[in-house]
Amino acid sequence: MATIGNNNINAKLVLLGDMGAGKSSLVLRFVKGQFLEFQESTIGAAFFSQTLALNDATVKFEIWDTAGQERYHSLAPMYYRGAAAAIIVYDITSKESFEKAKKWVLELQKQGNPSMVTALAGNKADLEDKRKVTLEEARAYADENGLFFMETSAKTAVNVNDTFYEIARRLPRAQPAQNPAGMVLSNTPAEQSKASACCS
Amino acid sequence: MELHDLCDDPYYAASQRQGSASNLSCDSDQMRDVNEFELVYSKENVAIHPSQYASERIIGRLRIIKQSSSLFLTWIPYRTASNLVGTTGRNLSSSVSEKDMNLYTIKSVPLTNIHSIRRHIPTIGWQYIIVILSSGLAFPPLYFYNGGVREFFAILKQHVFIVRSADDANVFRLNDFQDSLQKSLSSLELPRALSVANGATLHHSPSAVSAIDNSERENGIASAGVSTASKHSGKKKYKVPDPAHDLSVQVLEKFSLVTKLARDATTQIFREIQDTRSPLRDKKLQSSPFPVTTVSQLDYRTNNNTRTKPDDIEGIPVDSKFVRSFVRGKKMKLPLTREEWRTFLGREGRIVDSTTLRKRIFYGGMENDLRKEVWKFLLGSYDYDSTFAEREYLDSVKKSEYESLKSQWKSISETQARRFTKFRERKCLIEKDVVRTDRSIPYYEGDGNPNVTILRDILLTYSFYNFDLGYCQGMSDLLSPVLFVMRDESDAFWSFVALMERLGPNFNRDQNGMHTQLFALMKLVELLDHPLHDYFEKADCLNYFFCFRWILIQFKREFKYKEIMQLWEVLWTHHLSEHFHLYICVAILKTHREKIIGEEMDFDSILKFVNGLSGNIDLDAVISYAEALCITAGEHGAACIPPVMQPRWHEQRMENKAITTSESVDMWKTWKHRFSLVVNYGWGRQFCLRILNGRKKYS
Repeated sequence: MATIGNNNINAKLVLLGDMGAGKSSLVLRFVKGQFLEFQESTIGAAFFSQTLALNDATVKFEIWDTAGQERYHSLAPMYYRGAAAAIIVYDITSKESFEKAKKWVLELQKQGNPSMVTALAGNKADLEDKRKVTLEEARAYADENGLFFMETSAKTAVNVNDTFYEIARRLPRAQPAQNPAGMVLSNTPAEQSKASACCS
Repeated sequence: MELHDLCDDPYYAASQRQGSASNLSCDSDQMRDVNEFELVYSKENVAIHPSQYASERIIGRLRIIKQSSSLFLTWIPYRTASNLVGTTGRNLSSSVSEKDMNLYTIKSVPLTNIHSIRRHIPTIGWQYIIVILSSGLAFPPLYFYNGGVREFFAILKQHVFIVRSADDANVFRLNDFQDSLQKSLSSLELPRALSVANGATLHHSPSAVSAIDNSERENGIASAGVSTASKHSGKKKYKVPDPAHDLSVQVLEKFSLVTKLARDATTQIFREIQDTRSPLRDKKLQSSPFPVTTVSQLDYRTNNNTRTKPDDIEGIPVDSKFVRSFVRGKKMKLPLTREEWRTFLGREGRIVDSTTLRKRIFYGGMENDLRKEVWKFLLGSYDYDSTFAEREYLDSVKKSEYESLKSQWKSISETQARRFTKFRERKCLIEKDVVRTDRSIPYYEGDGNPNVTILRDILLTYSFYNFDLGYCQGMSDLLSPVLFVMRDESDAFWSFVALMERLGPNFNRDQNGMHTQLFALMKLVELLDHPLHDYFEKADCLNYFFCFRWILIQFKREFKYKEIMQLWEVLWTHHLSEHFHLYICVAILKTHREKIIGEEMDFDSILKFVNGLSGNIDLDAVISYAEALCITAGEHGAACIPPVMQPRWHEQRMENKAITTSESVDMWKTWKHRFSLVVNYGWGRQFCLRILNGRKKYS
């Protein structure tokens, strides 16, 4: 869930998608500005964090990068549970990876948090000559399912940061009525926020 | 061949030198004094088990002696063949050395220094006691082979004030005086000996300190505090010290090598036993009669005043940091050389003593050019008992077997492949992974590298050889160093097959294999570092998923390429434990416990931190530390680890055999019983239930 304090939003984001679609590459491009031609496979999961400054808020993404193979699918709920956002990644040169992406969308619709901001990323957009999934096909699917869609390239950095920025913009802003447990009133939080304000 | 154990350590050496120095300093009068003692109690056949193997034992005599109105506890190993040759007739000189015996010897501990003694009288098996000193140090369990623990306490009662612990009927406290007057009177009796146990006086023992100083200069480790103190006292080396004082220091010194760890383990075991009895875990914890951890370990809960504070042991080198740095500092040997390897080969090429060989490899690995041959033994492709000729024959048979396996998929035509989705999918998965496996290693780098193709071919052949398991991410990581070493497709394939026989369960689709491993890891951390376990519990991290990668691909991503080959051969020796990789996990976690706890890391941060350790782990130090932990945990550690889950393809075979299956259920039940499993931790319990439910199908 996105947690909100002043204009700071902490948002858990999870990357899902077929193996080799480029999940880790997208994260590394976004977090470190790097691209490795032979990015090693993710075993288990990897965790990254990156902060984005928008006009109205600062969004700190806590990013879970998961292993893609079907075999490790049973671990995925652990990572997407409680996520405020998800990027479902497929490889535009692989029809199978697009089908896999659709399965992930279905799973998130069933199991995930209903207010989750979900993006569909058609990665490896630099490999135009090997394209197997058309832009139109993917866009139509995304529209049908209310997903935010972009074709990306971790290699050339096209649309990578844009995807994360767009997710950050779509994250729900302050929703004061959302605390079901009620509000605990005390002096300390105010003092703390004051203290953090002058430190930052 | 030289044995590598705690005694090889500079600190042990220091205590040995210290011992000889104090002998020098003893004048004849004192020698006479030492001989004038009254025997209060003596018990034959009392043993220490230095390792988890009951076959490795040191048998000796336990005594209580009275000397100038003070009582001392001693345990001296027999200097006879019985300690060097086990009852089974197996020559144990390889495992129990003279040095081991010296290390474990309890020369003379004043009873006033003993905090408590725990007795353990099982209906089946050996009775034993664990002696815990006021400083919090514990001696390893003393097994009474001929029984008689009750008699021991009966005699003890006649001579010292003993109180049974209110928390545990099997714990007896000595020197536990409610009355402060009595306490101070008591401490007046043996002020110096007492002070030794209570700390800070190590610095006052000149010989001990200068010995440590020497070893420090040689090894450049240990705390600066001790070092400074020693410089001041170095000149007084031969000044006559108090014998009781010196003996205690000597005992403490030796045991500080092992007992901090042993104490942690034993106290935690006690707590565990208490925990299983009472749901009021925290209450028990607070009233635990044992100083559970050292001050530094308790830093994160310093606000918790209700907890029994450990004795003030500042200034004495038994602090956890000290012990850790000591254990870490232990040097591995140089890798096994070809010359050395030849000495293990008997006539016709049989391995004469595989135990010693495995032990040798455990401490230092082997030179790279030996790996191709020796790995096949470690992985079980070759029998230790095979001859050169048999192995050569085996290789050629296996080579043609590999070729025929490979031809199964090689012969699939494109038209056939179009109608064979499973095959296409697998090939695609494998191809995606091999091109990104260790491409920075020269052996695999560059476009169109033929070795990458060999990786693919082996993995594809394996997925036909073991069609049920198929290809799983992580396998390419496991195969890469194997092919690098074997430099031959067939050899690499069969070695990989042998490796997967061990690791296969980790790749089960339902992740049960991994869950079992992570669960065992949780139990081990609980046993070996209870505060860290408590922290993980509080932080909701008991699923240990941050160690998933470590275990699944056996630390492949955590170490440099050269190092991983050494670590793997160490793991494959199965010296000490076939689950040594779990102790490696505990060792790494414990190495960073202060940071994890101090920074109050949550699950995300721990995962990030743990992944970030990649390439920054000191291999030799971690192996040494894990070794110490494994020895400390002993059979209690082994009991943490459930019987290895069978890989799926084995299970399917078992479904057809009712007896075998029920046997496996029994195995599981036995383990569960042994551990009297009380799983109160979220998914841990669910997981266990899941396994049990899953198993019910078969029973």
